[in-house]
Amino acid sequence: MDYFLTEQQNEIKNLTRTIAEEQVLPVRAELDEKEEFPSEIMKILADAGLFGVYLPEEYGGLGGGILDLCLVVEELSRVCSGVAVSYAASGLGTLTLLQYGTDEQKQKYLPDIASGRKIAAFGLTEATAGSDAGGIQSTATPTSGGYILNGTKQFITNGGEAEVNTVIALTDKSKGPRGASAFLVDKGAEGFTFGRKEKKLGIRCSATRELVFEDCFVPEENRLGREGMGFILTMKLLDFSRPGLGAQAMGLAQGALEAAVDYAKQRVQFGHPIFAQQAVQHMLADMAIDVEAARALVYATARMIDGGAKNFTRESAISKVFASDTAMKVTTNAMQVFGGVGYMREYPIEKMFRDAKITQIYEGANQVLRSEIAFALRKKKW
Amino acid sequence: MNIIVCVKQVLDPEIPPAKFKIDPATKKVIPPPGVPPVISVFDERAVEAACRLKDKQGGKITVISLGAAQAAEVVKHTIAMGTDEGFVLQDEAFEDLDSFGIAYVLGKAIEKIGAYDLVLCGRQSADWGNGQVGSILAEIMGIPVVTLACDIEAADKKLKVKRIVKDGYEVLEAPMPSLITASSELGLPRLPAGMRIMIAARTQVPVWKAADIGAQGPELDKAKAHTEVTGLSVPSRKTECEMISGDSPGQAAENLAAKLAKLL
Repeated sequence: MDYFLTEQQNEIKNLTRTIAEEQVLPVRAELDEKEEFPSEIMKILADAGLFGVYLPEEYGGLGGGILDLCLVVEELSRVCSGVAVSYAASGLGTLTLLQYGTDEQKQKYLPDIASGRKIAAFGLTEATAGSDAGGIQSTATPTSGGYILNGTKQFITNGGEAEVNTVIALTDKSKGPRGASAFLVDKGAEGFTFGRKEKKLGIRCSATRELVFEDCFVPEENRLGREGMGFILTMKLLDFSRPGLGAQAMGLAQGALEAAVDYAKQRVQFGHPIFAQQAVQHMLADMAIDVEAARALVYATARMIDGGAKNFTRESAISKVFASDTAMKVTTNAMQVFGGVGYMREYPIEKMFRDAKITQIYEGANQVLRSEIAFALRKKKW
Repeated sequence: MNIIVCVKQVLDPEIPPAKFKIDPATKKVIPPPGVPPVISVFDERAVEAACRLKDKQGGKITVISLGAAQAAEVVKHTIAMGTDEGFVLQDEAFEDLDSFGIAYVLGKAIEKIGAYDLVLCGRQSADWGNGQVGSILAEIMGIPVVTLACDIEAADKKLKVKRIVKDGYEVLEAPMPSLITASSELGLPRLPAGMRIMIAARTQVPVWKAADIGAQGPELDKAKAHTEVTGLSVPSRKTECEMISGDSPGQAAENLAAKLAKLL
């Protein structure tokens, strides 16, 4: 389908595809096996200027928007979702700064992020706060000139790799979620260390670690937005970032679909390629329908955001839920097309299948997002 | 250092053979619908060579492409790689030119651009592959030519060129300005970077007509008629598969080796 991307968007998509196929594809199995952070690939993406696609030109970005970010994520995920999420999580750690940061904060951080010299991460989740983001326990106690951070963030993508960390902590515990604030914490700040690296089912090359704060001082100028705005900023951030997650899921599904079609054309059973079987044809056709629908939803949502819409919680949630459910369904069926060999590590489908599951879980479990969509429905006047 | 690179837009060589169609009556290739043409791979090497020189010495790279108006896409691609500006030479009078005619028109465009230290071309085009334009262009401009370069260095107004020969390479020295044609051995062309893509997307590539560069009248007519295509056909490709057998895998390998030795 022709989505009428701009010339620049088409070039960025093509460039990312070239990098994905030439640089990521040869090492994806090894990265997965060794659970190794793809530092070299991040460097290649940085040199290509891709970390800045969605950032304004005045900060060294390419002046694009969420759609541009989605295009890069999609193309990377088509080859390796682990690499894609390492790239995308830097965007997640940057969007709050981009939207609510002061000019000084943006001047200080964005040029380095746009050039890829520094990657970013976002720390919200804690042992007691997953879907219930209001349940965070980390504190940022006001002190002269800044705040003292204490607490542990869990399952943080790019944890330990990111130089710039957007962290949510309570500045006023008595107010609950309304007492949360957002902070930029530099890697290397005193009292800021990293816990164990998690071993995961999928997206194994991405770094997932704990961020541990023990009396970590953060200067006041590193607070994003007003005190007490942390929870609201986070909800807004996730509205912005969910199409990117949808792009990750959709790109992954596209990769699985292509692999399944190629395999069905060459695998001979009963004297013919299995593509000749109507049962297989219909499976592949359904996969193609779902992937295209997911793409249309993700692009449309990204364009709505880039177009300046005020409220897009519902649309963001819809695009993420549909694309991630599609990723799970398509990788499951792609493995079915591969049959026995698809279950083996030698073939890429097994990895795609493992990589798909997380997209239904993180950045809002699909059940929670369905509740958000239902909430919007209840309020909606037709 | 001022460098001028001549690039050609060609049919994407990656298209499946079944999509490659010709019209035997007009003796022309029919471009397959929906496949955007690309820069000729050898010319992309020439652009890469220019960019490497610019990385080291600084300077300005100007690109010219003779072809259809869509050749602007190819020029933009080179801008994304690192060139500074480009022009498309397009005119009805330029259709059906052969190597002589093309070299004549390119020469006229270079005259209009003005001062230069080096002109770069691909060793040949990726479609017709005549490999003549570079040399003829140098002849027209009255400058030395070095073909099949795999490495170019510039210092003290001189060019040191590694040139591919059958069993290795030779190193030549040439004055500036000279014309050099780039070979594949130069290495892979760079990927464009995001910031350059943005600049390229915003660039308007001017189109120069015959009158703009003074390539017209009897001079152009004279440049036109050197060759004639007398026939055009698609080569038929036949693949035969022979299974080499043997009593053991080792024996099969030996049989295969013997077979290959006979073929060589």
